[in-house]
Amino acid sequence: MSMAAPNPRIIELVEVGRAYTRADGQAVTAVDRVSLTVPEGEFVCLIGPSGCGKSTLLQMVAGLIEPSSGAIVVDGKEIDGPGGERGMVFQRDSVFPWMRVIDNVEYGLKCRGVDATQRRVIALDYLRRVGLAHVERAWPRELSGGMLKRVAIAAVFANGGRVLLLDEPFGALDYVTRHQLQDVLLDLWEEPGRAVPTVIFVTHDVDEALTLADRIVAMRGGAIVDDIPVRAERPRDTDSLLMPDMVAIKHKLLGHLGLERAPGRAAGRRARGESAA
Amino acid sequence: MTPLARRRELAVSVAVFLALIVLWEILSLVYTAEAQPGEPMVAGWGTLFTRTLLSLSDYWQGGFGVKSVADGAQRSYLAAILSLASHSAATFVRLISGLLLGGVLGVALGLGVSWSRWSRRLVELPTQFLRTLPLLAMVPLFQLWFGTYFFGQVLFVAYGVGVIVFAGVVNAVRNVPQIYLDNARSFGASRSQLYQTVILPAILPAMRSVTLLSLGAGWGAVLAAEYLGAQSGLGYIIVYAQQFGLLDRMFLVALLFILYTSMSYWAIQRLFARLLAWSPAEAAQ
Repeated sequence: MSMAAPNPRIIELVEVGRAYTRADGQAVTAVDRVSLTVPEGEFVCLIGPSGCGKSTLLQMVAGLIEPSSGAIVVDGKEIDGPGGERGMVFQRDSVFPWMRVIDNVEYGLKCRGVDATQRRVIALDYLRRVGLAHVERAWPRELSGGMLKRVAIAAVFANGGRVLLLDEPFGALDYVTRHQLQDVLLDLWEEPGRAVPTVIFVTHDVDEALTLADRIVAMRGGAIVDDIPVRAERPRDTDSLLMPDMVAIKHKLLGHLGLERAPGRAAGRRARGESAA
Repeated sequence: MTPLARRRELAVSVAVFLALIVLWEILSLVYTAEAQPGEPMVAGWGTLFTRTLLSLSDYWQGGFGVKSVADGAQRSYLAAILSLASHSAATFVRLISGLLLGGVLGVALGLGVSWSRWSRRLVELPTQFLRTLPLLAMVPLFQLWFGTYFFGQVLFVAYGVGVIVFAGVVNAVRNVPQIYLDNARSFGASRSQLYQTVILPAILPAMRSVTLLSLGAGWGAVLAAEYLGAQSGLGYIIVYAQQFGLLDRMFLVALLFILYTSMSYWAIQRLFARLLAWSPAEAAQ
């Protein structure tokens, strides 16, 4: 991987929209002309209430859904369908049950035609980093939900994509497992000696976003309503989430999620649909 | 299941099997009507494994140093066994060729429906015609088209099998979970890689029942094909025996069929158990 200067606009969304027709014939706008620029190496959390369009937006960046308007440019090229340079981790179990763990981790490399010995070395390395070297030859059915998620993460990193898209990856996991996996993810992301991948991480968990993100983008009703930088040092522990600026961000986000009445001024701005950034 | 419970179940199965054998023997003693003089409607085990078995040497065409009855040789158990083996082999070859041809075509066309818009258009209408035509309605047509040729018999079996496999594959592909397709595509899998690494393995669990169904259809079709005028095979023995009212021979061949079909089902079960070692449902059994 080249260590050239990071691309300041590795992901660019230009007026991206997605509309569809419901079964009853009514037109619905899932994503409404969203524009967003992400510099290379940034960890962006996309947060919003259920149905706000965050998942749809991520799936469009992944190329799994086609936008009905606008354009998505990744690393200077307008995307046309999915591609190995954009790794994706899903909320539901996506590990192939018919492949052994190691073969799952090698999958992307195999698709790209990397030779067998080389891809085995890479896959084993990532399997070790996520703490699963001992189940290399196991079938996925023998693994727990948390372990399966580790396999999915190892597979995505092994494939070496410069952009990683995660769609509520830890949403279905228990509290302890979720925190362990957040650490696993950050360790791999910050891994020295390679270009830091750019991450878009969709979540509805405010604390998760505060723990992980360089920047938190809040969505509501298909549009971006806030874009907040998070400058706290990593690793962030329980104490760092209690710092005054973090608490202020948390209040804002809870307001966007509709869980807390935001202060009058912010509420007024939100109602007019302006960005608070 | 505990070993004891398993042994008890096995004991019940053996007892039922023996009871069936005894019942048949009793029936043969009680019901003594004859289809023609000397040919009982219900032949007892004694008759079946002596006179009837011996009579099968009539179908031995000679070879391996054993002359055929037609060439003036005496009936013998060796000729009978050789005869059964050679006619069974003829049936097996037709069945397996038909299964392979029908299986390959059924899978290929079934995958073609989902491959692309073009392939779907190419495949859908012709297969729609083929699958709505009842197999038995085609018997006279096949007879006139192919006569007693081996290829015609294989084609008939392949047709019976292929229709079932095709429908099964189309349905199984439709039920492949989207998450696996999305996952593969986001790893950069090409369309052919998607079919090889995701769709084919993902439809395998559904293909087990499809394979068992088509195997049943295959056995039926190979018999029907042999009724049409083959000069060999178990179906040929049955038709020949029917013409002369030789019920005991028909019954013996039917028993052989039970043995063969059971073995073929068992083999397919074993094969899929091995292929599906990864499947959570399989592991739960």
